[in-house]
Amino acid sequence: MNKHGLGLFTMLLLAGSAGAGEGKAEAPMRDPWVPPAVRAAAAASASAAGETRGAALHAQVEKKLRDGFDAADTQHAGSITHEQAQAAGLGMIAGHFNEIDTGRTGRVSFEDVKRFLKRRGASTL
Amino acid sequence: MTQPPPPPRRRALAASFAIASTIGLASCGGGGGSAPQACPSPPPAPLVQDALNDATLYSTSPTAALNPCAVEAAAATKHSITLGGSPLAYTATAGHLVARDPATNAEEASFFYVAYTADGADVTTRPITFFYNGGPGSASIWLHLGSFGPKRLVTGDPATTAPTPFPLVDNAETLLDVSDLVFVDAIGTGYSEAIAPNNNQTFWGVDRDAAAFRDFIVRYLAANGRNASPKFLFGESYGTTRSGVLSHLMETAGVSLKGVVLQSSVLNYGTNCDQVNITVSCAGYLPTYGEVGAYYSLTNPVPTDSDAYAAQMRTFTASTYEPALSAWLTSHTPPSGSLTTQLQNLTGLAASQWQANLNVDPGTFQYNLLPGKLIGRYDGRVSAPKGSALASEGDPSSTFISAQFAAAIGPYLSSTLHYTNPSTYVTLSNAINTWDFSHDGSGVPDVIPDLAAALAQNPALKVLSVNGYHDLATPFHQTERDLSRLGSTPNITIKNYDGGHMTYLDDASRPKEKADVRSFYQSALSR
Repeated sequence: MNKHGLGLFTMLLLAGSAGAGEGKAEAPMRDPWVPPAVRAAAAASASAAGETRGAALHAQVEKKLRDGFDAADTQHAGSITHEQAQAAGLGMIAGHFNEIDTGRTGRVSFEDVKRFLKRRGASTL
Repeated sequence: MTQPPPPPRRRALAASFAIASTIGLASCGGGGGSAPQACPSPPPAPLVQDALNDATLYSTSPTAALNPCAVEAAAATKHSITLGGSPLAYTATAGHLVARDPATNAEEASFFYVAYTADGADVTTRPITFFYNGGPGSASIWLHLGSFGPKRLVTGDPATTAPTPFPLVDNAETLLDVSDLVFVDAIGTGYSEAIAPNNNQTFWGVDRDAAAFRDFIVRYLAANGRNASPKFLFGESYGTTRSGVLSHLMETAGVSLKGVVLQSSVLNYGTNCDQVNITVSCAGYLPTYGEVGAYYSLTNPVPTDSDAYAAQMRTFTASTYEPALSAWLTSHTPPSGSLTTQLQNLTGLAASQWQANLNVDPGTFQYNLLPGKLIGRYDGRVSAPKGSALASEGDPSSTFISAQFAAAIGPYLSSTLHYTNPSTYVTLSNAINTWDFSHDGSGVPDVIPDLAAALAQNPALKVLSVNGYHDLATPFHQTERDLSRLGSTPNITIKNYDGGHMTYLDDASRPKEKADVRSFYQSALSR
């Protein structure tokens, strides 16, 4: 990919050992930076994901929270106990368990958690 | 560019101590062994003493690992700084703490940190902030010795004429008047290293890295009685990517944050045209090109106010540049002569460059703005003749300061903080070459959903985004666009300054940024 046509040879001469080719600056490692292989492989998935916002972004948030919840629901019961929340590292749920468990059943469902967060003012869910 | 991986290596060496004689020597045997060993649980309190001669050799090789049952020890020294005419007494603590997997309690890594804590403060109300640079693979030396710690190196940014070695001076803009400060190195950088059976590579990925940072913070808070303290994160560059993921993990774990400061962000690698593929629009860079061109008085007219010019450039980008760029990217429709003339007037980059490729990437801009010169990537205000030593690494703004920072940290740790170690403190490891960038099923991370998930779990969480107008690495307007996905929310504040990636190096911008960060803390704490 030569984006600069005729100028390339001249620029390489100018660049000397500058690590610059194709008429542009290239540093070997820098922040942020991704290696060429990742760069190539990532192009497709990055563009496929797109820039979510609004409802699509909220759906991503819900999936993140639900994945964490489901991992704690080791028996696939659709709800978890305080102990299960704690064992899975869900400290937010464990810490607010009684507020989430409005029916005082000793178990909370993901919908219970979602309702609690919305009640607290979550605008990104 | 790849670098050959260093050979697998040894590991041994429990810490030896200058004052306490034998502690730590009775650590578990076995070098880089495979079977997890039972270490004391709960771990004993960290050993903190006036001076520490830590004989452990730390490695940033991907295959390196410390022996199990790593020693937690630190040197604590007393200091004082005069701020606004009043002395502030503080303690600097330099050493290691071990992050453990919260589910299994297994050791993950030994993190090196330097903490600055005000003496005599009420820990239930005194904020604590965790700082880290990015890379990935960078030690946190830039924030530690350049930004808001109690000492800073005098760089003279953006000039490259400052006397060297850079003097290390008391920092009038330290954030220590507002918060305690903990500068922590990522695993496989500085003196931080994984613990067997893990190795450094185990944690060289977006998700594993952030989880290990969570576990370090949890350990720091527990070991120092700081669970009740208001908590903040302060990450830079890839460190903002880390902060996105980490903020969600922290809120999920119930270790709630008050605020997150994002210094020069890369929140979505997929929208940064310098990170994935040239087919991505570089529109988010255009206002930065304008600011850099204006700095060199190459724009027509030359603006007098950076903020006003940024506003003008944002409008032009959305209304004029993007529609034409979209046509160029989708069907290679050539731009009109009037557009390329406008672009030359607004940025200083020749119309012929815009004509050749309307989607100008930052490397091309760096290389072609000034005849015969290369301008900086981290700070576009720095320039050097092509072929000169300063230009030889592709970024004169980075080359001028890198060696100075690297040279300063060792003597500071040993002479001032009384922590000595025979290893080389690696400021930039090879982690980036083998880093697992995947996240949420994508090949490169987009952490806006993570930030959104943190905000969903903690609606009071505040986010401050600080950016440099002349930063060609993480352009301010792309960050504004990425954050706009979160919708209009009072939780997010954006501040831009004259300066590069490390805005805090600029003597005029550092006090402004400090004032804004201070206001941000007050706002986040006032709820």
